Amino acid sequence: MNPTITRGIFDVLSLSSVLILLVIGMAIIVGMMKVFNMCQGELILLGAVTAFLCSKYLGNIWLGIFLAPLIVGIFGFFLERTIIHRFYVNPQAALLATFAIGLIIRETLRTRMNTQGAPVAPPIENYVEIGGTNLPVWRVVIIAVTLVLTLTIAFVLLKTNLGMKVRATLDNPELVSVSGISTKWMYACTYAIGAALSGFAGAMIVPLQTLYPNLGYDNLILMFIAVLVGGLGQFSGPIIGAAIIASTGALLGQFISPVTGQIMVVLFAVVLTRLRPAGILKGGR
Amino acid sequence: MNIRTIRKGKSVKTVAIFSSLLMLPTSFMFTPARAADPIKVGVLTDMTGPFGLVGKSNLAVAQFTINEINKKGGVLGRKLKLVLADGGSDPAIAAQAASRLVNQDKVAVVVGGVASFTRVAVRDVITKRGKTLYIWPASYEGNECSKYVWNTGSAPNQQVDPTVKYLLSQGKKTFFLTGSDYLYPRNILARVRQVVLAGGGSIVGEEYVPLDMTDPSNLVSKVLASKADALFEVVVLPGTAPFIKGVVNGGFKGTIAGTLFDEGINPLIGKEAEGLIGVQDYYGPVTDSFTKTKVAAFNKQHPEAAGLFTSTFNAPAWYRSFYLWKVAVEKAKSFDTAKVDAAMNSASLKSSIGGPVSFSPGTKHVNLTMYLGKGNADGSQTILKNLGMLSPFECAKKQ
Repeated sequence: MNPTITRGIFDVLSLSSVLILLVIGMAIIVGMMKVFNMCQGELILLGAVTAFLCSKYLGNIWLGIFLAPLIVGIFGFFLERTIIHRFYVNPQAALLATFAIGLIIRETLRTRMNTQGAPVAPPIENYVEIGGTNLPVWRVVIIAVTLVLTLTIAFVLLKTNLGMKVRATLDNPELVSVSGISTKWMYACTYAIGAALSGFAGAMIVPLQTLYPNLGYDNLILMFIAVLVGGLGQFSGPIIGAAIIASTGALLGQFISPVTGQIMVVLFAVVLTRLRPAGILKGGR
Repeated sequence: MNIRTIRKGKSVKTVAIFSSLLMLPTSFMFTPARAADPIKVGVLTDMTGPFGLVGKSNLAVAQFTINEINKKGGVLGRKLKLVLADGGSDPAIAAQAASRLVNQDKVAVVVGGVASFTRVAVRDVITKRGKTLYIWPASYEGNECSKYVWNTGSAPNQQVDPTVKYLLSQGKKTFFLTGSDYLYPRNILARVRQVVLAGGGSIVGEEYVPLDMTDPSNLVSKVLASKADALFEVVVLPGTAPFIKGVVNGGFKGTIAGTLFDEGINPLIGKEAEGLIGVQDYYGPVTDSFTKTKVAAFNKQHPEAAGLFTSTFNAPAWYRSFYLWKVAVEKAKSFDTAKVDAAMNSASLKSSIGGPVSFSPGTKHVNLTMYLGKGNADGSQTILKNLGMLSPFECAKKQ
């Protein structure tokens, strides 16, 4: 096969899986819990920092990828119990509060880093030759991991008892609490899982980029667009939204200038949200 | 008279008393400075925000240089006093900071700015309204010829021309040009295009990417598909490292060159920095005795900024800025803006960090000693050639 075509197909798969991986945590916190979590990017950043520290000081990035969801998950749990839970009644204020949290994390890292960025070597540095071109193995791993992770979470949410409790809590907290389930802990744990998934995503994608303070924030707008296109209320909506947005961008980027491509993607998203305001999965207006 | 007007009258009186109290110290402030008073020098850089690290380097170099000048007796018998203003990596904040420097602190000269948007935001505040000299110490996109503004960094032709000529001399015929989508990369690449075509080469692709591009996969694929002999890139951080890694590891066979490679940037790229070509006014291995002694002294006195003395952080330009201004002041025998401005036109230094430097009369830019450098896998540089003094093609002397 022509190497340019191989790369073209691979870029679409790779860019889509990266955005989906970044959006998974947000699909739970913003999509399902409906908390407009402006510090989602910094949860990703904290995961990336964990991977960087483990790779630099312990010489083992695998450990970082394993620890990132645990550390960021625990951090998310405390964040929810101390700050986030106060804003469920007031989503607009939540926007500001979470933005402030994100700003603090981001700028703290900026003042601590004595460099403009730090490279993180991927756990697998090999390249495979497919169709006459070299493709990075780590991107192939990310495609596979994203697929497995998305299906697993969807399965847990839709087919297990736990998933049912989570969905019930988020849909109708009053009814669930009279049924004897603690909604307080349910909310905290759901937020923590969303945070953990973002931390994991950060640790996975930081080798593709460099560690720098705006690592998560630079992706935030695209992530929010994915969630809005996909629609709130379901886990799968934002995931499908991310796939649509990223693959459109990756395809356009192969034929037109990336700057024009980015504008077209946002325009496309505006049109989609106009045609299907409740999300891609829900028809009608 | 209701209660509201009484209150109003009272507050007017209080304001009057307070302002008369405030007048007292201000009347002292306007007494003419005695000859022994230090002369204030404005240092404008970004201590906070995304350019904070560059600011850290700039401030350390300014402190080092001013300290050195003061130890040797200052300028016209007056000690220099550094007044720092934080531009906050934001043009609006920078404009306020610049206004404070010229209107409140009444500095004799302002040196500074990291990004061109800062220069554009502060230029008129300092020179037109403030009637103060402004030295812009950064390699940049060119075309800054305003009155009272002096450029001490390299102009595009000083970096681009020797880089492209080297690539052509190595038998590179087809060029792919790419950069972030804003003024600096566009002007640099316009110069690259001109020199490539004049030298008989051809451009096989030119592509600009958004400043906040996080994943350069598409651009990498386009570069690889072009099969160009050389890639000239001005993709700025954070895109630089993933882009170059992608191109190198994707199997690109050509040479990669750019204007932003040195010991400050290459370590972020990693081992893929091996073989990156560029031209700067200073690299670590510059070994003339003046440069060696000064950089060693700097690293000793400013351990907080050790490793931040690099060309892409404009460190050599900051150093020569203060000395070129000192030479001009001494020639003018005055701190008067117009007189110093006239003397700047021919100010020169026999030795400075990186080599001798002199203003190229009529261009408002400097003749600079430039070096052709090649990156190593560990982030260090090898100097391929000392290019000697190169003239800037700017302002009156466009080519």
